[in-house]
Amino acid sequence: MADDASSSSGCAGNIIDNSINQDELIMKQQREIEKEISETIPLVGELEALSSLEKEYNEDPVYLLKVKDLSSKYKYIRRTRPDGNCFFRAFSYAYLEHLLTDKSEFDKFYEIAKNSKEILVALGFSQFTVEDFYETFMEVVQRVGEQAGGSPESLDSVRAELHDKFNKQGYSDYIVVYLRLVTSGQLQTENDFYQNFIEGPRTVTEFCRQEVEPMYKESDHIHIIALSNALNVGVRVKYMDRGEGSQVIAHDFPEGSKPLVHLLYRPGHYDILYA
Amino acid sequence: MAEISEKYNTKCPGVKRLMREAMELAEATEEYCARPLEDNLFEWHFTVQGPKGTDFEGGIYHGRILLPKEYPMHPPHIILLTPNGRFEVNKKICLSISGHHPETWQPSWSIRTALLALIAFMPTPAEGTIGSLDYSPAERKVLAKKSVSWVCSQCGEISALLSSTAAKPITDEEKSVLNQIAFKAEEEQTAKPPEEPAHEPEPQVLESSEPTNSFLDQLTEVLVALLVGAIGIFIYRRWNAHYPTSETEL
Repeated sequence: MADDASSSSGCAGNIIDNSINQDELIMKQQREIEKEISETIPLVGELEALSSLEKEYNEDPVYLLKVKDLSSKYKYIRRTRPDGNCFFRAFSYAYLEHLLTDKSEFDKFYEIAKNSKEILVALGFSQFTVEDFYETFMEVVQRVGEQAGGSPESLDSVRAELHDKFNKQGYSDYIVVYLRLVTSGQLQTENDFYQNFIEGPRTVTEFCRQEVEPMYKESDHIHIIALSNALNVGVRVKYMDRGEGSQVIAHDFPEGSKPLVHLLYRPGHYDILYA
Repeated sequence: MAEISEKYNTKCPGVKRLMREAMELAEATEEYCARPLEDNLFEWHFTVQGPKGTDFEGGIYHGRILLPKEYPMHPPHIILLTPNGRFEVNKKICLSISGHHPETWQPSWSIRTALLALIAFMPTPAEGTIGSLDYSPAERKVLAKKSVSWVCSQCGEISALLSSTAAKPITDEEKSVLNQIAFKAEEEQTAKPPEEPAHEPEPQVLESSEPTNSFLDQLTEVLVALLVGAIGIFIYRRWNAHYPTSETEL
């Protein structure tokens, strides 16, 4: 009897300990998973043939049908690290890569990018921290601009440079932060419009602070709509999930725009697609 | 500053950013001041004035700021050194949006944001949050008075560190951010978080309440077990004492 009592009080003790540490344990586990991911998957990967997706879904007839549909329109895929920043990273990589071959689009984008900082400062973001991210972002943009529309050889070398920068945490994360700020700026500027997209009682500003500006927060439709509007860039997202049918559904942001960036969405993650 | 640029890779975004912040915060203000240690850009010491109209009015509080090597992607840790009655001293506390995980730190926040938020957060109720203290107003006022003569082994008398210049006014954006920020200590008996400060010169004496707690838990367990055992023996003996008599009665 004494034994019973002591062991049950031991259990109770454990339960109390667990509830105290639950949060911390979950976070610790999450950090370990993040670490494992960051050690195995590059921030932005090399170009792969779309057939690599087929291998991934070898024993999954639903997805195989969809990969087949996808391969009728796209030939290559470039994977990004699933760290919650994948939309921003995939978008900026694909768009800058496109700008290398489209000088007039670059000129249009350059004006928008150049003015973006003032919009953020006017909204009350701290000037010197915004500048810090802006400068790194513009450094990469200008590098693209110098070579945009150049010869195939010079494009190859600048592509390699871009790839290298996107895999350097310093540059890559700074670009992500800046695009998060631009997205937040757009949401806050067009406050009335975007409020309709936000579920629950949160204001646009609260939403920005909790779901847009912090790193590693995943992107939803609203992020894509806001960023594509802010930069005036067409984005096509192909949604591949367990939904019915053999077709992979596409969404264009902003609606009716000409897509320059093509992304593949699988639940919780974005990669880049190439025709 | 020149020394720092020689010692660190200024291409590293964290270094570039911290040097900018050091410049931004170079002038001490009435409300706060902060600067990196001479030999370590990733550890700063700060001083803040107790917010006016609160129990901390007239107090001056000093502490350390530890920057993770991933800064500004990951948040700084703050350690208060001057006893204040609101936060435990020598304990790492971290800022995040109230009710959210520390991942809600934003890279566009800065050391100034952290200090302003700390000042704004001091008068809020402790509510049993880890790292928080719930001293009475009288005790806090006593500590506020004492704090003025507190001396930091590295920075000297802290009362000399603040100036009479008013800090840059708080913008509307900052105001709305400050209202949302909360400070909380981390659980300490679990493994250390990966984002350790890039360089920590001295081992920290961190107050760890957890081991004491688990010791108390164990003690209680043993006592409960002993008590239950004693009751068991008592019943057994009573029962034994009665049983033979009832048998003889039959």
